Amino acid sequence: MGKVVLVVDDSESILEVVSFTLENNGFDVLKAKDGKDALKHFDGANIDLLVTDLHMPVMNGIELIKEVRAMPEYKHIPILFLTTETQVAKKIEAKKAGATGWLIKPFNAEKLIATIKKVLR
Amino acid sequence: MESLQKKFIIEANEFVNNLEDSLLSLEKNPDDKNKIQEIFRIMHSLKGSGAMFGFDDISEFTHNLENIYDLIRNEKMVVTKELLNVTLASVDHLRNLLNQKSNEEVKNEHQRLTNIINDIINNKNKEEKKDIEIASPIKQVSILRQDIKNQDLKTYFIFFEPNENIFSNGTNPLYLLDELNSMGTCKVFSRLNKIPSIENINVEKCYTYWDVILATSQGINAISDVFIFVEDDCNLEILEIAAYNLFENKFFIEEIENKKFLKENISIDELQKFISTLSNIEVEPEKIDIPEKEVISESIEDVVDEVKPKPKPKEIVTHQIKEKAISTIRVSSEKLDQLMNLVSELVTTQARLLLFAEESKDNELIAIAENVQKLSRQLRENAFDMCLIPIQTLLTRFKRLMRDLSNELNKDVEFITEGAETELDKTIIENIADPVMHILRNSIDHGIESEETRVRLGKPKQGKILLKAFYSGTNVHIMIKDDGVGIDTEKIKEKALKMGIINFETSYSKKELLNLILISGFSTSKNVTDVSGRGVGMDVVKRNIEEIRGEVEIDSVVNEGTTITIKLPLTLSIIDGLLVKINNTCFIIPLSAVDRIYEADRSVLENSFNNIIVFESKQIPFLYLRHEFDITDNCPSKQNLVVVNYEDKQIGLAVDTVVGEYQAVLKPLGKYLNKNEIFSGASILGDGTVALVMDTNKVINKFTN
Amino acid sequence: MEDNILKNLDSYLTFELGGEIFAVNVANVLQILELPNITKVPKAPEYMKGVVNLYGSVLPVVDTRIKFGLPETEYTANTCIIVLSIEIDGTQVNIGAIVDLVLQVLEVKEADIKPPPGIGEKYKSEFIQGMIKVNEEFIMLLDVAKVFSSDDLVYIKDSVNETNN
Repeated sequence: MGKVVLVVDDSESILEVVSFTLENNGFDVLKAKDGKDALKHFDGANIDLLVTDLHMPVMNGIELIKEVRAMPEYKHIPILFLTTETQVAKKIEAKKAGATGWLIKPFNAEKLIATIKKVLR
Repeated sequence: MESLQKKFIIEANEFVNNLEDSLLSLEKNPDDKNKIQEIFRIMHSLKGSGAMFGFDDISEFTHNLENIYDLIRNEKMVVTKELLNVTLASVDHLRNLLNQKSNEEVKNEHQRLTNIINDIINNKNKEEKKDIEIASPIKQVSILRQDIKNQDLKTYFIFFEPNENIFSNGTNPLYLLDELNSMGTCKVFSRLNKIPSIENINVEKCYTYWDVILATSQGINAISDVFIFVEDDCNLEILEIAAYNLFENKFFIEEIENKKFLKENISIDELQKFISTLSNIEVEPEKIDIPEKEVISESIEDVVDEVKPKPKPKEIVTHQIKEKAISTIRVSSEKLDQLMNLVSELVTTQARLLLFAEESKDNELIAIAENVQKLSRQLRENAFDMCLIPIQTLLTRFKRLMRDLSNELNKDVEFITEGAETELDKTIIENIADPVMHILRNSIDHGIESEETRVRLGKPKQGKILLKAFYSGTNVHIMIKDDGVGIDTEKIKEKALKMGIINFETSYSKKELLNLILISGFSTSKNVTDVSGRGVGMDVVKRNIEEIRGEVEIDSVVNEGTTITIKLPLTLSIIDGLLVKINNTCFIIPLSAVDRIYEADRSVLENSFNNIIVFESKQIPFLYLRHEFDITDNCPSKQNLVVVNYEDKQIGLAVDTVVGEYQAVLKPLGKYLNKNEIFSGASILGDGTVALVMDTNKVINKFTN
Repeated sequence: MEDNILKNLDSYLTFELGGEIFAVNVANVLQILELPNITKVPKAPEYMKGVVNLYGSVLPVVDTRIKFGLPETEYTANTCIIVLSIEIDGTQVNIGAIVDLVLQVLEVKEADIKPPPGIGEKYKSEFIQGMIKVNEEFIMLLDVAKVFSSDDLVYIKDSVNETNN
């Protein structure tokens, strides 16, 4: 069984393109459209990696990261966030919240997989 | 990939619609933080995903806009009318970009808007500079890194000491070491001296740190990239210690093997000293076997195993969760059209089946056929339901139009909408946008007076236009009401007389006069300011609405305002009908219009001179359809009177026989019979013959005038 | 474009109507139907015979005799419907034309097509594409798009007045 990646993005097309790439690379993908939606998946599922956007309605990525880190079983899973911001502030905020790393949009499939492999083997 | 792009376009169009909507409400309420956040978020998404799907122009274009709204969101800038104008114009422009329009006009607009937006940003930046100089240390670092070119193999010393709490970010330092290993030849020395005694160990902390010697061709840049996520969470030193591959030197290998064996610390000074001695010795490059992937010393493994997050139970089935999560799905409208077509075919086939079953007199077959009928009815209702869209989907366009027009015409108008949740078939929704926009434009342009006039007339300064949608029986009504100048029927009459449309002898009701403005050519743009400027293009509106089997009604009171009501059927594809016969021709009367059915003698109907018949002590005006339709053959002595609702009256339609209820799949009569005014379509019966679907309102209109 | 294709197609379906022979370009012909049950449409023009079911869609049917100013006759076993596809205001429309008898498909060389007759003919020249002579008999090639998209009758009731226009 492949590793389970939970992808969270309010943009359906990003969600699709990321999942598509991941599935093609042998990952099992769960999808969610915002933080709140994503949290549902943590209920009992076995997630190996979280990839989340930061700006989302309902519950944003930073809050989601904090929530996930607060769960004992997910204290240590790698978390990647998607961002277009080149400003440091957002990145630091996300890292403070407990993110492992980030991906700068736009990214291609190679970059996505390479980054995921960086935090997940 | 292409279909993903299509998806993106659909989605981005939605984004742009939401953006427009948010901008419009921000305009009303410029301090609404949520809306600003929403606007920023949408631009952010457009920028990010645009580039991923090959819309670099969109991404680029949104970039500065996003920056502006970022400033606003951080209260470093305020929302101005100009800014909203530019942003709304950008919304239109984004739509063009999404639809991949690339004509001269679009290009010019792109340039124009980009310039304006850049100006806004630049002005802001100038202000900012006066206040504080902001330096960006990160940028400088990255420039430094770029100086180093990829060259031949070099050897580096890397000291990596993660912060104790590195695990809490989900980082596994071993992966980083592994990544280093994948870059070339690598030796890793783990340093365990910080590990406390067992009782003081906190398994969630990282006590180990590492010295790494790496020979790689990838350059210092690539090495620091490995640590990009942990830069701030560790002590990291990367030093080039030799401009060649030290692992090719057996003395060096001996030295570090020895150190590794002794678990001795590597001091960088010592190491460099040692290397400098090496360079004095002539070495023939000699292939030395180093097991390629033997890198991470076992002792690290031991330590790290302890701190690794505990494995979680693997048994849980992910599918379960997936099902739970999907509450709505997106289906293309073509697929829905296909579904509706199939349902229509099914209903037609089912009618044949039922007919065949009844003729066979086989009870079991009849039971099956009836069951199929029941199922197909349910399926049909279900499929219909899927095709319903709330009017809400059109409102943003309307609001935008009202906003732009009230600015352009300098009329202060409050636009109120009610019943946005009212649902209509998607084909109808698609077809009402233009007519409704037209009516709204007329209302604000010709209906609402100028401010001075309103004040003079004692009306509130602000004009009011109401768009209200609601269900009425099996119809949906869309009402557009303004409190403007109204339509003067006397003036209509004058003009119509002049044009020869009406004559002096007849007296006309107010409604008839108002309806004149729906006649093609009655009002033209030449007399916009004249009497019935209100009628401009109303003939087109009427035609468009009639094409979807709807009706337009006008009511108006001078100086109080005008109300235009569009009455629409709920659906265009299948209706519940009453199948009736005159001679051997079948007709379908929409069941929604039918009130009750009486039986009447043919002679009574034929001999009535005022076409009124009394049932249950009620006088019912009727139409003897045989006469109206010029059908003379085979007249039975008994007729059925189907009483239908017509406006607020009830009118009987006399037919030979009533066959029964029938689900009628509506087929267009085609362009060739479009001029026909009394039938809205046809339906194919179980035996293959064609039945005509009556539009009762139009039948009554035609034959009572 | 469309015109070119039509012009280059040189097969014509001939049919009989009131003893005369007419032809339509096969590019316009979808199929030939036996006379089915026709549903009359009340209040439609006289030449509109009604509608029939053509594989689940509704096909309007024109009595070509009336359109051509001929007396209506009883339908016979030979009477049939030619299903035509014509362009009206930019959209393709199917129409059924009732004719007395369908004859054959003729190959016609463009050079053999003579211009439509001018003065003195009983059919309006705008409806006639041209004429050919086969076995000493004149066959009129019809411009079906014009014939069936117009409410006008093809037949000129008062030929002198018409031709003066």
